[in-house]
Amino acid sequence: MIQDNPESKFIFIFHPKILIGKKYTVRNGKEMTNGEVLQYWGKWIVLGEKSWLDKLAIKLDPLVESKEIPVIKYDREPSVNLGIDECVMMVYCDRRDRDRIWQILSRFGVKLKAWVTEKETMEMWLPGGLLLERWIASKDFDEFTQNAVREDAQARMGYLFDHPDEIFVPWEQ
Amino acid sequence: MPVKIIIPGSLKRWFYGETEFSCQGERILDCIDRLEERFPGVKGHLIDPKGYKSNVLIFLNGDNLRDFDGLETTVKDGDEISIIPLAAGG
Repeated sequence: MIQDNPESKFIFIFHPKILIGKKYTVRNGKEMTNGEVLQYWGKWIVLGEKSWLDKLAIKLDPLVESKEIPVIKYDREPSVNLGIDECVMMVYCDRRDRDRIWQILSRFGVKLKAWVTEKETMEMWLPGGLLLERWIASKDFDEFTQNAVREDAQARMGYLFDHPDEIFVPWEQ
Repeated sequence: MPVKIIIPGSLKRWFYGETEFSCQGERILDCIDRLEERFPGVKGHLIDPKGYKSNVLIFLNGDNLRDFDGLETTVKDGDEISIIPLAAGG
Protein backbone atom coordinates (compact mmCIF):
# COMPACT_ATOMS: atom_id res chain seq x y z
CA MET A 1 0.00 0.00 0.00
CA ILE A 2 1.12 3.54 -0.72
CA GLN A 3 1.13 5.76 2.35
CA ASP A 4 1.09 9.41 1.34
CA ASN A 5 1.00 11.41 4.55
CA PRO A 6 1.57 15.11 3.78
CA GLU A 7 3.26 15.60 7.15
CA SER A 8 6.05 13.19 6.22
CA LYS A 9 9.02 14.11 4.04
CA PHE A 10 8.61 10.72 2.34
CA ILE A 11 5.92 8.73 0.60
CA PHE A 12 6.14 5.07 1.60
CA ILE A 13 5.17 1.83 -0.07
CA PHE A 14 4.88 -0.99 2.42
CA HIS A 15 2.95 -4.17 3.07
CA PRO A 16 -0.16 -3.60 5.25
CA LYS A 17 1.28 -5.97 7.86
CA ILE A 18 3.56 -3.09 8.86
CA LEU A 19 0.48 -1.42 10.33
CA ILE A 20 0.11 -4.25 12.84
CA GLY A 21 3.69 -3.98 13.98
CA LYS A 22 5.39 -6.48 11.64
CA LYS A 23 8.84 -5.53 10.39
CA TYR A 24 10.17 -5.42 6.86
CA THR A 25 13.71 -6.35 7.93
CA VAL A 26 12.93 -10.04 8.07
CA ARG A 27 14.79 -12.83 6.31
CA ASN A 28 13.71 -16.47 6.25
CA GLY A 29 11.10 -15.64 8.88
CA LYS A 30 13.65 -14.19 11.29
CA GLU A 31 13.94 -10.53 12.24
CA MET A 32 17.32 -9.06 11.36
CA THR A 33 19.68 -7.76 14.03
CA ASN A 34 21.34 -4.36 13.90
CA GLY A 35 24.55 -6.06 12.82
CA GLU A 36 22.77 -7.92 10.01
CA VAL A 37 21.11 -4.72 8.83
CA LEU A 38 24.49 -2.98 8.72
CA GLN A 39 25.99 -5.93 6.86
CA TYR A 40 23.25 -6.73 4.36
CA TRP A 41 20.56 -4.04 4.20
CA GLY A 42 20.63 -1.41 1.49
CA LYS A 43 18.72 0.14 -1.38
CA TRP A 44 18.66 0.74 -5.07
CA ILE A 45 18.58 4.47 -5.72
CA VAL A 46 16.16 5.76 -8.35
CA LEU A 47 16.17 9.44 -9.29
CA GLY A 48 13.58 11.32 -11.25
CA GLU A 49 10.79 13.84 -11.44
CA LYS A 50 8.12 13.39 -8.79
CA SER A 51 5.44 12.65 -11.40
CA TRP A 52 7.54 9.80 -12.85
CA LEU A 53 8.22 8.35 -9.40
CA ASP A 54 4.48 8.52 -8.60
CA LYS A 55 3.77 6.41 -11.68
CA LEU A 56 6.60 4.00 -10.85
CA ALA A 57 5.28 3.70 -7.29
CA ILE A 58 1.88 2.57 -8.58
CA LYS A 59 3.57 -0.11 -10.68
CA LEU A 60 5.76 -1.30 -7.80
CA ASP A 61 3.04 -1.31 -5.14
CA PRO A 62 1.67 -4.77 -6.11
CA LEU A 63 5.20 -6.18 -5.79
CA VAL A 64 5.44 -4.86 -2.25
CA GLU A 65 1.99 -6.29 -1.51
CA SER A 66 3.20 -9.68 -2.77
CA LYS A 67 6.36 -9.31 -0.61
CA GLU A 68 8.73 -9.44 -3.57
CA ILE A 69 10.04 -6.02 -2.50
CA PRO A 70 10.31 -5.35 1.27
CA VAL A 71 9.72 -1.59 1.40
CA ILE A 72 10.12 1.58 -0.69
CA LYS A 73 10.21 5.27 0.14
CA TYR A 74 10.56 8.34 -2.02
CA ASP A 75 10.76 12.09 -1.65
CA ARG A 76 7.66 14.22 -1.63
CA GLU A 77 9.86 17.02 -2.97
CA PRO A 78 13.55 17.34 -3.85
CA SER A 79 16.05 17.96 -1.02
CA VAL A 80 17.23 21.22 -2.54
CA ASN A 81 18.99 22.18 0.70
CA LEU A 82 21.22 19.12 0.24
CA GLY A 83 22.06 20.09 -3.32
CA ILE A 84 19.70 17.90 -5.31
CA ASP A 85 16.88 19.03 -7.56
CA GLU A 86 15.24 15.67 -8.31
CA CYS A 87 13.27 13.35 -6.08
CA VAL A 88 14.92 10.17 -4.85
CA MET A 89 13.25 6.78 -4.50
CA MET A 90 14.90 4.14 -2.32
CA VAL A 91 13.98 0.55 -3.04
CA TYR A 92 15.13 -1.36 0.03
CA CYS A 93 16.17 -4.98 0.20
CA ASP A 94 18.73 -7.42 1.54
CA ARG A 95 21.95 -7.42 -0.46
CA ARG A 96 21.45 -11.13 -1.10
CA ASP A 97 18.21 -10.32 -2.95
CA ARG A 98 19.35 -7.21 -4.77
CA ASP A 99 19.95 -8.78 -8.19
CA ARG A 100 16.39 -10.08 -8.28
CA ILE A 101 15.05 -6.66 -7.24
CA TRP A 102 17.23 -4.97 -9.88
CA GLN A 103 15.67 -7.15 -12.57
CA ILE A 104 12.27 -5.85 -11.47
CA LEU A 105 13.39 -2.21 -11.56
CA SER A 106 15.06 -2.52 -14.94
CA ARG A 107 11.85 -4.06 -16.27
CA PHE A 108 10.11 -0.81 -15.33
CA GLY A 109 12.65 1.36 -17.12
CA VAL A 110 15.17 2.15 -14.38
CA LYS A 111 18.61 2.47 -16.00
CA LEU A 112 20.85 4.22 -13.50
CA LYS A 113 22.29 1.46 -11.31
CA ALA A 114 23.35 2.57 -7.83
CA TRP A 115 23.34 0.35 -4.74
CA VAL A 116 23.90 2.14 -1.42
CA THR A 117 24.24 0.15 1.79
CA GLU A 118 22.43 1.24 4.93
CA LYS A 119 25.82 1.33 6.64
CA GLU A 120 27.10 3.90 4.12
CA THR A 121 24.00 6.02 4.58
CA MET A 122 24.24 5.95 8.36
CA GLU A 123 27.90 6.91 8.23
CA MET A 124 26.89 9.95 6.16
CA TRP A 125 24.33 10.93 8.81
CA LEU A 126 26.53 10.42 11.88
CA PRO A 127 28.22 13.49 13.45
CA GLY A 128 30.97 14.59 11.06
CA GLY A 129 29.28 12.72 8.21
CA LEU A 130 28.97 14.60 4.94
CA LEU A 131 25.18 14.68 4.76
CA LEU A 132 24.50 15.51 8.40
CA GLU A 133 27.00 18.37 8.37
CA ARG A 134 25.66 19.63 5.02
CA TRP A 135 22.09 19.49 6.37
CA ILE A 136 23.07 21.34 9.56
CA ALA A 137 24.86 23.98 7.47
CA SER A 138 21.71 24.47 5.37
CA LYS A 139 19.71 25.35 8.52
CA ASP A 140 20.03 28.48 10.55
CA PHE A 141 20.71 26.61 13.80
CA ASP A 142 22.54 28.15 16.74
CA GLU A 143 25.47 26.20 18.16
CA PHE A 144 23.38 24.63 20.92
CA THR A 145 20.89 23.24 18.39
CA GLN A 146 23.65 22.06 16.07
CA ASN A 147 25.15 20.05 18.90
CA ALA A 148 21.75 18.70 19.93
CA VAL A 149 21.19 17.48 16.36
CA ARG A 150 24.58 15.77 16.35
CA GLU A 151 23.90 14.14 19.71
CA ASP A 152 20.52 12.88 18.48
CA ALA A 153 22.10 11.45 15.33
CA GLN A 154 24.80 9.75 17.38
CA ALA A 155 22.21 8.31 19.77
CA ARG A 156 19.97 6.96 16.98
CA MET A 157 22.49 5.66 14.50
CA GLY A 158 25.44 5.05 16.77
CA TYR A 159 23.19 2.66 18.73
CA LEU A 160 23.07 0.25 15.79
CA PHE A 161 26.85 0.12 15.56
CA ASP A 162 27.21 -0.29 19.33
CA HIS A 163 24.53 -3.00 19.72
CA PRO A 164 24.97 -5.36 16.75
CA ASP A 165 23.18 -8.32 18.36
CA GLU A 166 19.92 -6.54 19.17
CA ILE A 167 16.92 -6.83 16.86
CA PHE A 168 16.77 -3.87 14.47
CA VAL A 169 13.99 -1.37 15.22
CA PRO A 170 13.25 1.12 12.41
CA TRP A 171 12.59 4.69 13.51
CA GLU A 172 9.71 6.86 12.38
CA GLN A 173 10.38 9.18 9.43
CA MET B 1 31.61 -2.62 -26.87
CA PRO B 2 32.26 0.63 -25.01
CA VAL B 3 31.60 1.50 -21.36
CA LYS B 4 28.18 3.04 -20.80
CA ILE B 5 27.76 6.07 -18.53
CA ILE B 6 24.39 6.97 -17.03
CA ILE B 7 23.65 10.09 -15.01
CA PRO B 8 20.40 11.46 -13.53
CA GLY B 9 18.67 14.54 -14.84
CA SER B 10 19.93 16.57 -11.89
CA LEU B 11 23.51 16.28 -13.19
CA LYS B 12 22.83 16.74 -16.90
CA ARG B 13 23.84 20.40 -16.74
CA TRP B 14 27.44 19.16 -16.39
CA PHE B 15 26.99 16.97 -19.47
CA TYR B 16 25.50 19.53 -21.81
CA GLY B 17 22.01 18.11 -21.38
CA GLU B 18 22.82 14.44 -22.02
CA THR B 19 22.07 11.67 -19.52
CA GLU B 20 23.39 8.56 -21.26
CA PHE B 21 26.50 8.15 -23.36
CA SER B 22 29.44 5.84 -23.91
CA CYS B 23 33.20 6.17 -23.78
CA GLN B 24 36.35 4.12 -24.07
CA GLY B 25 39.02 3.66 -21.41
CA GLU B 26 40.94 1.12 -19.37
CA ARG B 27 40.30 2.77 -16.00
CA ILE B 28 37.52 4.94 -14.55
CA LEU B 29 39.99 7.83 -14.68
CA ASP B 30 40.51 7.29 -18.43
CA CYS B 31 36.75 7.40 -18.94
CA ILE B 32 36.56 10.69 -17.03
CA ASP B 33 39.35 12.09 -19.21
CA ARG B 34 37.35 11.09 -22.31
CA LEU B 35 34.31 12.78 -20.79
CA GLU B 36 36.31 15.96 -20.25
CA GLU B 37 37.18 15.99 -23.97
CA ARG B 38 33.51 15.69 -24.85
CA PHE B 39 32.06 17.87 -22.06
CA PRO B 40 34.74 20.42 -21.16
CA GLY B 41 34.65 21.30 -17.45
CA VAL B 42 32.99 18.10 -16.27
CA LYS B 43 36.18 16.64 -14.80
CA GLY B 44 36.35 19.46 -12.28
CA HIS B 45 32.89 18.52 -11.05
CA LEU B 46 33.79 14.86 -10.58
CA ILE B 47 37.32 14.66 -9.26
CA ASP B 48 39.97 16.61 -7.41
CA PRO B 49 43.61 15.78 -6.63
CA LYS B 50 42.51 13.53 -3.73
CA GLY B 51 40.16 11.35 -5.76
CA TYR B 52 36.59 11.67 -6.77
CA LYS B 53 34.74 14.56 -5.21
CA SER B 54 32.70 14.19 -2.06
CA ASN B 55 29.63 15.72 -3.70
CA VAL B 56 29.10 12.74 -6.02
CA LEU B 57 28.90 8.96 -5.74
CA ILE B 58 30.22 6.89 -8.63
CA PHE B 59 29.12 3.31 -9.21
CA LEU B 60 30.51 0.55 -11.41
CA ASN B 61 27.80 -1.93 -12.39
CA GLY B 62 25.81 -0.77 -9.35
CA ASP B 63 28.57 -0.91 -6.74
CA ASN B 64 30.24 2.12 -5.15
CA LEU B 65 33.75 2.78 -6.48
CA ARG B 66 34.87 2.84 -2.85
CA ASP B 67 34.48 -0.95 -2.93
CA PHE B 68 37.06 -1.17 -5.72
CA ASP B 69 40.22 0.82 -6.44
CA GLY B 70 38.54 4.19 -6.80
CA LEU B 71 39.47 6.04 -9.96
CA GLU B 72 42.14 3.44 -10.75
CA THR B 73 39.50 0.74 -11.07
CA THR B 74 39.80 -1.00 -14.42
CA VAL B 75 36.77 -1.29 -16.65
CA LYS B 76 35.88 -3.66 -19.44
CA ASP B 77 33.66 -3.51 -22.45
CA GLY B 78 30.01 -3.52 -21.48
CA ASP B 79 30.52 -2.11 -17.97
CA GLU B 80 28.13 0.57 -16.74
CA ILE B 81 29.16 3.61 -14.73
CA SER B 82 26.46 5.53 -12.88
CA ILE B 83 27.06 8.89 -11.21
CA ILE B 84 24.66 10.44 -8.68
CA PRO B 85 24.75 13.43 -6.35
CA LEU B 86 25.95 12.53 -2.85
CA ALA B 87 22.65 13.59 -1.30
CA ALA B 88 20.78 10.95 -3.30
CA GLY B 89 22.64 8.25 -1.39
CA GLY B 90 21.20 9.24 1.95
